[in-house]
Amino acid sequence: MNIKGLGKIVLSVLVVGLFLTSTPSAASALSADEVVEKANLAYYYGGDDGSAKVKMVITSASGKERVRELILLRKDIADGGMQKYYVYFINPPDVSGMVFLVWRKVSGDDDRWLYIPAVDLVKRIATRDKRSAFAGSHFTYEDISGRSTVADTHELIGEEELDGKAVYVIKNTPKDASSVEFSYFKVWIDKATFIPVKGEYYDKSGKLDRTIYTDEIEVIQGIPTVIKGRAVMADGSYTVVTFTDVKYDLGLTEKTFTERTLRKPPRKWLK
Amino acid sequence: MIKGFLTVLLLTFFMLSHASSALAALKFHGFIEGSGSIRPGDELTENHGYNLYEGRFQLKTTYYPSLLEDYSSEVVFKGEIVGDGYDGEVRAELREMYIALSPLDSLDVRVGRQVLTWGLGDLLFINDLFPKDHVSFFIGRDQEYLKLPSDALRMSFFFDKLSADVVVLPLFTPSITPSGERISVYDPFYGSIRGEAIEWHFDEPENGELAARLYGNFSGTELAAYFFNGFYKEPKGIKDPSVPLFDYPRLNVYGASLRTTVIGGIISLEGGYYFSVDDSAGTDNYIENSMVKALIAYERDLGGDLGVSVQYYIESMMDFDEYKAALEPGSKVRDENRGIVTVRITKLALSQTLRLSLFAFLSPTDNDSYLRPTASYDLNDKVKITFGANIFSGKDDHTDFGQLRGNDNLYLRVRYSF
Repeated sequence: MNIKGLGKIVLSVLVVGLFLTSTPSAASALSADEVVEKANLAYYYGGDDGSAKVKMVITSASGKERVRELILLRKDIADGGMQKYYVYFINPPDVSGMVFLVWRKVSGDDDRWLYIPAVDLVKRIATRDKRSAFAGSHFTYEDISGRSTVADTHELIGEEELDGKAVYVIKNTPKDASSVEFSYFKVWIDKATFIPVKGEYYDKSGKLDRTIYTDEIEVIQGIPTVIKGRAVMADGSYTVVTFTDVKYDLGLTEKTFTERTLRKPPRKWLK
Repeated sequence: MIKGFLTVLLLTFFMLSHASSALAALKFHGFIEGSGSIRPGDELTENHGYNLYEGRFQLKTTYYPSLLEDYSSEVVFKGEIVGDGYDGEVRAELREMYIALSPLDSLDVRVGRQVLTWGLGDLLFINDLFPKDHVSFFIGRDQEYLKLPSDALRMSFFFDKLSADVVVLPLFTPSITPSGERISVYDPFYGSIRGEAIEWHFDEPENGELAARLYGNFSGTELAAYFFNGFYKEPKGIKDPSVPLFDYPRLNVYGASLRTTVIGGIISLEGGYYFSVDDSAGTDNYIENSMVKALIAYERDLGGDLGVSVQYYIESMMDFDEYKAALEPGSKVRDENRGIVTVRITKLALSQTLRLSLFAFLSPTDNDSYLRPTASYDLNDKVKITFGANIFSGKDDHTDFGQLRGNDNLYLRVRYSF
């Protein structure tokens, strides 16, 4: 090896090094676990708190539509750690005014309460099954508030392009197979934003059962935000979810996530 | 009732007319519902073939007065018109009409007609001494109607770790209990189950009541202490057996509760000491004995939208010996302790549009039971069909559920919500 060749190598190492630190898209040095951690933060922990209006249109295999509208408030107690959610239902009319409060824990069972205004009842909800459908949609509770990053083993099974985006493909296999309805799921994570853009869930027999798509992303207050998504079942039924009026860093305090606000909704944040 | 309702309506419109722009922004919700039942086993009440046959229209809205915006105030209205085919009446019922505001950072106030609930029991009430409508519950109306509204002032104080509710109820509201009119029931003066022939009279207290709760949530473990100073909500006293005239004796209740999560489920504990003020010695057999009541409950989600909960409830007379000693010879002796086990099983199916549930009350001490199976189906976002039954059985005529055994019913409700 001559001196010129050595210079070339040094130069290329330098260039690659620069590239690595300046653009995440080349950060293939990340482990699968690191990618999943970053995706979890990007997808579920934008800002210190946030609010959004959520509309879900649920279409059955026969084409019948049902609509759920709600307002979602979120506060992160710690990034990647505990979160509190306040969900105020607007539609359908028979659940209008009901409130769902969740203290989401990273490990262990979440604490959940449901307020039923007609009888002024604060009901505590048993939460073992996080895989049940959220409000009758094709999204699960975990889709809405996040799945623990230590619940699965993560494997980086590819790096490819999806809809013009460079993505990581991660295969997630549950550590406790009995606690979930899938055998594994694959998720495609945008290298630039770490937003998951697609997820495929395979049932116990290995057949594709459910696919989640991120259809629209908008940068809101500097934070790439999913504003439209879809969950499509193998039988053709699906749910489209849209997020409007998304706001971050409102200055929500833990006081907004208590029994007080269940019984008297904080109108300031729900307008 | 109708006069009061109209006054409130007028008052509402007066308030609203002062904010016509706000009126346009008001959102109205409610429903129209038709319901009916069959009751094959009764021959004692007026219309014994059924006990539910009615149409119901509910309208509710919330108005946010701009004048009081700084106090994040809201005026809530919920009224109903009921065409009741059982007694041929059309009634206007005001379920809620209150103003809620937050005059201080640490204080919420709610004044007016409101539904009040606290305590942990599932369809078993220890520290919740707010009025109930047991008749609605037994004949198959929506469970919402088990709770009667109260005219009250509720003040809620919020401190760092603890919160407190103080509820002042200036007017006594009794619970609605079966009295032979719509539901046949045991008549202790005849020693048998009777229906429309019953002629009981009730003397209601004219004083007010006070209820308070101190509570806190410590990392998901909810603790509460309760206090009540008022009257029995059911006619637990006999003022004059020759009429017969019942009354509502004075009652103080001191209680506590705890609720937390344990290994994938929720455990609840609640207890209360019922001090029968007018019979503190326990020697007056025309007044309910002081009691201790307690329950323990466990609820668990089994996955696949299947949930199960179990409660064990016990009540025990405090002055049983005094009660027994004071009984007239030959009288029926009550059990000192009474226990109830309840089981609730709930299953959702068809993308959570079908809800199947069974709630069972079983009393091993009274040898009676009460089953409440229901199936409800959301035809779409607006139309819900509910089909259910109330099934009572018991060995004896005088026990809580056994006395209702002629009132088994099957009911159907169709509700359009908007």
